[in-house]
Amino acid sequence: MLDLDELKHQWAEHDRKLDESIRLNRQLLSMTNLNGARSAMQRTAAFLGVEAAVWFAIVMALGSFIYDHIGIPKFAVPAVASDGFAMGMLIATIRQMVAARQIDLGRPIASIQKQLETLRVLRIRTTQWGLLAGVIVWAPFAIVVAKACFGVDAYNTAWLWANVLFGLSLIPLALWLSKKFGNRMGRSPFIQRLMNDIAGHNLATAKVHLARLSEFEGEKPGK
Amino acid sequence: MKRHGDNSQGVQAKPMTTPALQERFQTLVDEHKKILYKVCNAYCRNRDDREDLAQEIAIQLWQSFGCFDERCRFSTWMYRICLNVAISFYRRESTRTRYVLSDEDRLLNAIDETANQPVEIQALYQFIDGLDSLNKALVLLYLDGNSYLEIADMLGLSETNVATKISRLKQTMRQEFRGTVRA
Repeated sequence: MLDLDELKHQWAEHDRKLDESIRLNRQLLSMTNLNGARSAMQRTAAFLGVEAAVWFAIVMALGSFIYDHIGIPKFAVPAVASDGFAMGMLIATIRQMVAARQIDLGRPIASIQKQLETLRVLRIRTTQWGLLAGVIVWAPFAIVVAKACFGVDAYNTAWLWANVLFGLSLIPLALWLSKKFGNRMGRSPFIQRLMNDIAGHNLATAKVHLARLSEFEGEKPGK
Repeated sequence: MKRHGDNSQGVQAKPMTTPALQERFQTLVDEHKKILYKVCNAYCRNRDDREDLAQEIAIQLWQSFGCFDERCRFSTWMYRICLNVAISFYRRESTRTRYVLSDEDRLLNAIDETANQPVEIQALYQFIDGLDSLNKALVLLYLDGNSYLEIADMLGLSETNVATKISRLKQTMRQEFRGTVRA
């Protein structure tokens, strides 16, 4: 029978041999390689930075549009709705950036893994709400863009309501499709992740992992 | 927080220039390369995945090296970084793009790999492979001879909690390998 304590001695022996058998490629630890490379954490931070800048630019542009059209409700109201959405996305992105900046991987594992999982939950919720609200907001946003960029008055009450209602009807369809075919839609990990985010699969997994972490962290002796 | 200064293993206290810092970093990682190897082996079965993880850890180690707190031992700090990166890597492994690397592109090369390992060590890796990411870390730290207090410090748990978990893992292992004949 194999016992962990007996194996600990074998492990120590194995450990002694490792010193001779492992070769570290110091060339790969050179300045050029390390300074030029980006860790997963840095890629996330950079992506969030670009995303926040884009949302900030949209919020500012919409703010300017609202100021110019404050007396014309048919343009001001869609712009306010779009701006509200953009501000929500900006706040959510900034919250993720702040959470990402607070992560120091040199700190104890249980707390860092909890922080990472909380950040993941925040990202999934932002994606879910962003996409689902986006299918409704795109119609008023289209009116604003048509007016601001091309000077076209695209406002039409029937068209606007038809699109908002169409967007609303798309939400359950999108949820159903992503739940049903999420794992089969394309080979791209990005698409798969997106579909699983919308379907709530990733959120459920993240919640399970968080619960496991809490259990791991706080388990009472003899439980 | 003090930066890249002294630790219990004799790292210099005065601030270093980047090439000196780089040299110090390379030396320290070289001295503790076994940690890197064992963590990668415990979290990835495939050789290319192991190498991807090793490189991801190396990048993270270098980027965090400036924040290395001298009050902490380098091995403790390195374990934390390695395990935190490995657990995250393991979580997103299914959605990752894989790269096939040549021997020159590999950060770690082990001469015997798994083929020449004793059957008990292979069985141990098999047992570790069946554990969840957090218990993998616990077993690895225990096997490496860390005390319950050190393990608790690295994982952020209480010492009694670590003792309970280790005892439960020993029990699980005994049940799992009941009847296994020693080679």
